[in-house]
Amino acid sequence: MAILKVAGVTKLYKDLKALDNVSFEFEKGILSFLGPSGCGKTTLLRSIAGLEIPDAGSISIGDKVQTSIEGGVLIPPYSREIGFVFQNYALWPHMTVFKNVAFALNLRKVPRDEVKRRVLAALELVGLGGREERYPSQLSGGQQQRVALARSIVMEPRLILLDEPLSNLDAKLREEMRVELKKLIKKVGISALYVTHDQEEAFVISDKVVVMNAGKILQYDSPDEIYSHPCDPFVASFIGHSTLVEGHVIKAVGGECVVQIPEFDNATLVCAAPKMGLASGPCSVVIKNGDLRLSHQKFSIDAINVLEGAMTSREYRGGLTDHRVQIGSKEVVVTSHRLCPMISVDGEGGKVFLCIEKSAISLIPTHAAV
Amino acid sequence: MTWKANRLALRQGSLFPLSASSLAAVVIVTPVLVVLWRSLTSGKLGFTVAINVDNYLRVFADKDIWPMLSNSIIYAGGSALLGTGLGGLLAWIVARTNTPGKGLVELMPLYPLLMPPIMKNIAWILLLAPKSGILNGMLEQFLGITYPVFNAFTMAGMIWTFGIACVPLGYLFLLPVFLSFDPSLEESAYIAGSRPVSTMLKITFPLAIPAFISAFVLNFLRALRSFETPVLQGTPGNIKVFVSRVYDSMALEFNTGLATAYSVVLVILSALTLYFYVRATRFSERYATITGKGYRVRVIDIGPWKYVTFAAVCLYFLAGIAVPFVVLIVVSIIPYFDYETFMTFPAHMGLNNYRTVLRHASFLNGLRNSVMLSVVIALITVFAGIVMAFTIHRTRAVGTKIFEFIGTLPLAFPPLVLSVGLVIIFVGTPLYNSLWALGVGLFVADFPYAFRNASGAIVNIHKELDEAAWVHGAKWRHVFFKVTLPILKPAVGGALFYIFIEAIRNVDVAVLLTAPGLEYGPVTLFEYFRVGQWAEASAGGVIYLIILIVAVSVAKFAFKMKFSL
Repeated sequence: MAILKVAGVTKLYKDLKALDNVSFEFEKGILSFLGPSGCGKTTLLRSIAGLEIPDAGSISIGDKVQTSIEGGVLIPPYSREIGFVFQNYALWPHMTVFKNVAFALNLRKVPRDEVKRRVLAALELVGLGGREERYPSQLSGGQQQRVALARSIVMEPRLILLDEPLSNLDAKLREEMRVELKKLIKKVGISALYVTHDQEEAFVISDKVVVMNAGKILQYDSPDEIYSHPCDPFVASFIGHSTLVEGHVIKAVGGECVVQIPEFDNATLVCAAPKMGLASGPCSVVIKNGDLRLSHQKFSIDAINVLEGAMTSREYRGGLTDHRVQIGSKEVVVTSHRLCPMISVDGEGGKVFLCIEKSAISLIPTHAAV
Repeated sequence: MTWKANRLALRQGSLFPLSASSLAAVVIVTPVLVVLWRSLTSGKLGFTVAINVDNYLRVFADKDIWPMLSNSIIYAGGSALLGTGLGGLLAWIVARTNTPGKGLVELMPLYPLLMPPIMKNIAWILLLAPKSGILNGMLEQFLGITYPVFNAFTMAGMIWTFGIACVPLGYLFLLPVFLSFDPSLEESAYIAGSRPVSTMLKITFPLAIPAFISAFVLNFLRALRSFETPVLQGTPGNIKVFVSRVYDSMALEFNTGLATAYSVVLVILSALTLYFYVRATRFSERYATITGKGYRVRVIDIGPWKYVTFAAVCLYFLAGIAVPFVVLIVVSIIPYFDYETFMTFPAHMGLNNYRTVLRHASFLNGLRNSVMLSVVIALITVFAGIVMAFTIHRTRAVGTKIFEFIGTLPLAFPPLVLSVGLVIIFVGTPLYNSLWALGVGLFVADFPYAFRNASGAIVNIHKELDEAAWVHGAKWRHVFFKVTLPILKPAVGGALFYIFIEAIRNVDVAVLLTAPGLEYGPVTLFEYFRVGQWAEASAGGVIYLIILIVAVSVAKFAFKMKFSL
């Protein structure tokens, strides 16, 4: 049974469509809403929580309809039995950590000793045992975040909603917390919806990812599928680590296609045909930066997809290096563990050969980008 | 949102705040509409009235209308200029110069809270009255000048009294500008080769202009609304402004049609001023020099000029704070007020005047009524203000922006005009001559302070705090009482005390609504003063002063409250 069903949800701000006929179902686990700021991901999350009221559509959690504009149903946020972790944590500054976490339990007239037991258990779980009498302002950012998390799980809701919960932490802590957060959510066994604009975070944390732009869902898949087979040029460019060029399929034999790429001086590339099949026509070609090989010598004769270019610059990122290679009128970024030396920057000397593995390429039919 | 989504939203905890706010809005708007309506009708109260513009024709046919308009503007502009200029100068002296003794000025922001406006008028009249005034008496006694140099009952006297009362506001507006001024703005001028004095003139002062304009316009508005100075000092000297004309039409002629027509002219003037104020504030925000960073501003050594600024500080301290205060206290403990008796002080010192006023039933009644009503009104007004601000910023009902306008509306209505409206509403009903009418008047007059205070505070509370309560199971009343209200506590406390103080010393709302048997606070002082019982007026005033000092000290020290105007 799906824990969450969203059907035809539309939300307008004046003329702007914040959500445009969004529909999907989610079984269980952790689901991320990924997209650039203003793509509607937070609006979608807030609509699920009942904090925003969509202009059309319906939302169900479990077997219960929570919002149905057409059906005249709108369960208020306080009756939806969910947890919510806000971007700024939203801890009440006038209450201690204990009272913050106990708030929802006290409202529901849970007996005092049970409140105490459950609050302490939740705080223990997030690693904040012994800090229950502190005030939020006496805690660090990371600790505040844990309090917010404890507050959202103490009711043992079926679903917790997290709105960019890590965005206020510094980079190092963020990386630690995302792993810990995932462990924690899995341990509690609650399903979670997670809003983020950081694709790495989404990939680390979630079982499934919804990629959104301009109020629409572009792709709904597992992280791996989204990375290896983006089905929309926007998804490919947002996920990054790839170079995007326009191409034209000129031949398709068996499971393979030949694509001609005008920007690469009309060079052709051989690659696997996309799942939905593509006999011919224009398409976007996504080339994964990390799956390319770069050399100053020619590759062996049986190597396919070898292109010749000139290295224009190089950025060492510690461990990885981005090499910028000009091929035709397009710059391709090659990311490798190895530092490929720059021979010369002026003209001929910078000549390099680039080998693009078949697996490094994925095709997105242009007409498929609905 | 679509209509359907809207209707669903309304059911979610908007209903109670919305109805409470609407009720408050009706109470606020009714006297306003009544004044407008009455100004457009003619006939005597209780009789059928005709809609026409007769009242306006009479107003504009009044040959005094132009002098009255120019008087109003000269009076308001003059006192605003004096007050804001002096306040700005003092702010600069305190913030940026090495003037000795500048600590004397730091008492000032509290001073206007302690001293009811009517007391300042009484003090300055005692000092500056042409015949019996203390200063004129001294000039005669010590210098042999028999000609009365000072005269409280002139335009200059009015501007002096109200202008001095405008200084604290100018000071409070400009002090933060000078204190949190980004020093790099001046430093870059020094680097460019500018000397301290020219830097001050070309950089520092121009950057303070927007705040100066804001304070000036606000002081101008306060002067337009002011009641005590025009009636106590203007009317005896036959200098008419709109407020005193409205008062005369009501109190002497009881011509409500005429009073409301004059009121409408005054309201238009006030509304225009208020509009400029909003514009000026917006402008000054764009010009903002205050960034929230804690700068350490540089104190400039102004060399020998510091003796000049020291003299300015001392003069202000004497004229603005010490002398009126001392005069009031002295006059309250001498047997009766005239120059000779005053000069024999402390020979015939005694508490007789206090005994006298405390034996007057009217004084005691007024004291009791004002203390009681002020407490009740402060509580109700602050609560209503918070609910209205909550409705605007925290519920999902649409169209709540209208409350923003209604909540601020009384600022454009001088309190006297509001009470004209209330007289018209209540006359002939059992509520006339009751504390109810007074309470409504004080509620409406003080509402904008409560509302704007709450609005500012609620906007500063992150909305997520409410939403977090909401998604974790809190209904609107839980959100309001468990989250919003506790977080607002410091702001609420400040507003409670402020409105208590405003209400307890109110004259201009109450003056038309009191009657024998229904006295209200300082209005009894006003009556003492009008019949020439100056010593009693001073003694009564000092009693109010003591109450206010106690209230402010309790608020300041027990609750660590900060006041701002």
